[in-house]
Amino acid sequence: MKLLIVEDDGALRRSINDYLKMEGHICETAQTLRQAIYKVADNKYDCIILDIGLPDGNGIDIIREMKSNKLTGGILILSARSSLDDKLTGLNTGADDYLTKPFHFAELSARINSIYRRNNLSGMNEIKFNEIRINTTDNLAYVNDNLLNLTKKEYDLLLFFMTNKDRIITKESIVEHLWGDEVTLTDSFDFVYTHVKNLRKKILASGSGNYIKCIYGFGYKFKDD
Amino acid sequence: MIASGVLLYFTIKRVIYRQIDNSLITEKTIIQDQIEQSDSIPDFEATFGHQIEVKLLDHTVHNFQSIKDTDIYDFRLNSFLPYRCIFCSGNTGQSKGYLITIFQILSEKEELLKDVSLYMFFLFLLLLLISILINYLIAWRLWRPFYYSVNKASNFNIQSDEPLDLPHTDINEFSRLNTVFSRMTRKMRNDYLNLKEFNENAAHEIQTPLAVIRSKTDLLMQNKNLKKESIDLIKSINDATTKLFRLNQGLLLISKIENQYFDEKGRVSLKQIIENCLDNYKEIMQLKNISTKMEASDDAIIEINEGLADILISNLISNAVRYNIDGGFIKCHVDDICIIFTNSGLPLLTDPEKLFMRFQKGNDNPQSVGLGLSIVKKIVDTYGMKITYSSHDNIHEIKLIYSQNANSKGHSMTIS
Repeated sequence: MKLLIVEDDGALRRSINDYLKMEGHICETAQTLRQAIYKVADNKYDCIILDIGLPDGNGIDIIREMKSNKLTGGILILSARSSLDDKLTGLNTGADDYLTKPFHFAELSARINSIYRRNNLSGMNEIKFNEIRINTTDNLAYVNDNLLNLTKKEYDLLLFFMTNKDRIITKESIVEHLWGDEVTLTDSFDFVYTHVKNLRKKILASGSGNYIKCIYGFGYKFKDD
Repeated sequence: MIASGVLLYFTIKRVIYRQIDNSLITEKTIIQDQIEQSDSIPDFEATFGHQIEVKLLDHTVHNFQSIKDTDIYDFRLNSFLPYRCIFCSGNTGQSKGYLITIFQILSEKEELLKDVSLYMFFLFLLLLLISILINYLIAWRLWRPFYYSVNKASNFNIQSDEPLDLPHTDINEFSRLNTVFSRMTRKMRNDYLNLKEFNENAAHEIQTPLAVIRSKTDLLMQNKNLKKESIDLIKSINDATTKLFRLNQGLLLISKIENQYFDEKGRVSLKQIIENCLDNYKEIMQLKNISTKMEASDDAIIEINEGLADILISNLISNAVRYNIDGGFIKCHVDDICIIFTNSGLPLLTDPEKLFMRFQKGNDNPQSVGLGLSIVKKIVDTYGMKITYSSHDNIHEIKLIYSQNANSKGHSMTIS
C-alpha cells in the first residue's frame, strides 16, 4: 500500500513512518498543509493518514481539495479530539475513518487495512493466513473452507490479529478495539484472556495451527512458528 | 402633609376663635362702659348679631371674666347649637354689681371652618398626587438607565457570544457603574474564553505527546531482543500512558459538556441505545454469568445529543457490570418518565453522597480513573434530568428521571 502521513509532530511522524514501513507499506510524509496538498496532487495514495491540527491550516482542507479535484484515496483522520467531536465535524467532509490520539499501532494498522478493503472491493475482501481465511464482506471466517462459528467479538479479534500478524498486540489495544476507548472496564484483561482462549480453542478444534502466541508482559502475537 | 393639614385646621380654628373672642370682648367692654356710666342696662341696638344678657344686681360682686364654649338648646331647630360665650361680672360706681353674658353662635363659623378645611384637604390631596407623579417621573427618568443595566446584567451569560453592552448615560454615577460593569464582565469573559481555549489547547497538546509516548513504546515492544526487566519497564510506561490518556479524555469530556459543546440534539430511542449497549457487554456478562432482564417501552424517547446518550447509558451499564458479582443480575426498566437500573453487587464502600463526584472509585482498582459517574452527573445536569442512587441488601438501584414533566405526570397518576 502507498501511504501518505500528514503529521506536524516530528517524533510521532517518524514513529508512524517506521511502524508502517515495518508492515511493508510505502510511506511518504508531509508536515504542513502545503506540502500535503502538493503531494496529494502529484501522487496517488491508497490511504492518507491525516492529522487535522497542522501549523498552516486545518487538515480538513486537504479532504475538500481532494473531493473537488475528484482525487481518490482513503482518508484516516488522526485527531487529538475525542471521537465524539469528530462525529460532529470531521467525518461529514468525507473522511473514511478517524482515530483518536493517542492510538495503538495495531489499531492504526487495522483501520488502514479496513479502509483499503472498503475502497478496493474487487477481490480484496479476503484475508488469508495459511489455512485461515476471512471474508470481510460477509464477516465470516473459515479454516480449510470450514466455517468457524465465532461470536462477533471473536470474529473482530481474529481479524485484528490477522491484520497485525507478527506484531505484538497489547491487551489494552485489544480492549480498545473491541469495546471502544470510551469504555473503561476494570477486569477487562480477564475478558481479553477469556476471549483469546475461546478463539484459540475454536481455531484449534477446526484443525488449524496455534498461531496466537502469548508474549510475556505485553499481550499476544499472531504468527506462524 | 397630614401634619401641616392638621396644623392649618387648628390655626384657622384659633384665628376664628380669636376673632370671635375679640368681638365678644369689645362688645362686653362697650356694654361694661355703658353700664358703668349710666348705671342702668343700656339699649342693645348695635349688637353685632350677638345675644346679650345683662343683669344688674343690688350687691357688689367680684370682678370676673371667662370665655368658653357652650351649647344652647334651640327650640326652633330642636337641637343644641354651639355657642361661644363671654361671661363677666363687675361693679358700677354706685356699688351695684352686674353680670354680662354675651353669646355668639358658632355654627356659621364652624361651617366656614369646615369649608375651608375641605378645600384645603382637596388642595393638599391634589398637591400630593401631583408631587407623587412628578417624583415617579423623575425617578423613572433617573433610574431608567440603572434598571436597564441591571436587567442586561442579570441576563448576561458568560457562555454566550455577546459581551455585556451597556449604553452611555448622562447620569454620572450610572455612567461610572456601567463602565465598571462593562469592564468587569469583559474581563470575566476574556478569562473564561482564555480558560476554555486553554482547556481545548491543553487537551490537544497533551494528546500528541501522549501519542508519541504510546507509539514509541509500541515500537519498542516490537523489538525482539528485550530482557525481562525492559519488558516490565515498558509495560509500566504503557499502563501509565493508558491511564493518563483516559484521565485526559474524561476531564476533557466533562469540561466540554460544561461548556455546552454538544448542543446538537436529536430524538433518541432509549430502548435501542440500551439494547445496543447491553449487546456490547454481552460476552463480558456471559463470562461473569450475569443475567439481564429488560422491560422497556418502545416509545421512550429522550431529546439529547446522541453521542452523550451513548456515553450516559454505557457508563451506567459498564458500572453495573463492573461492580457486579459472579452469577449476579442486571435489571433495566424504562418507561416514559425514568430509567431504572437495578443490579446485584458488593456493598458500596464509598459514601453514596459522594458517588457522583470526581475521582471517586468504587474499589481500589488501579485501572479506573473514577470519572465515569461524574460524567454521567454532568450530562444529567446539563439536560435538567435527575439521578438518584439507593441500595438495599446489596441490590443497587440507579434511577434516572429524564422526563421534564415527571412531577406533573406522577401527580396525575396518583390522582387517577
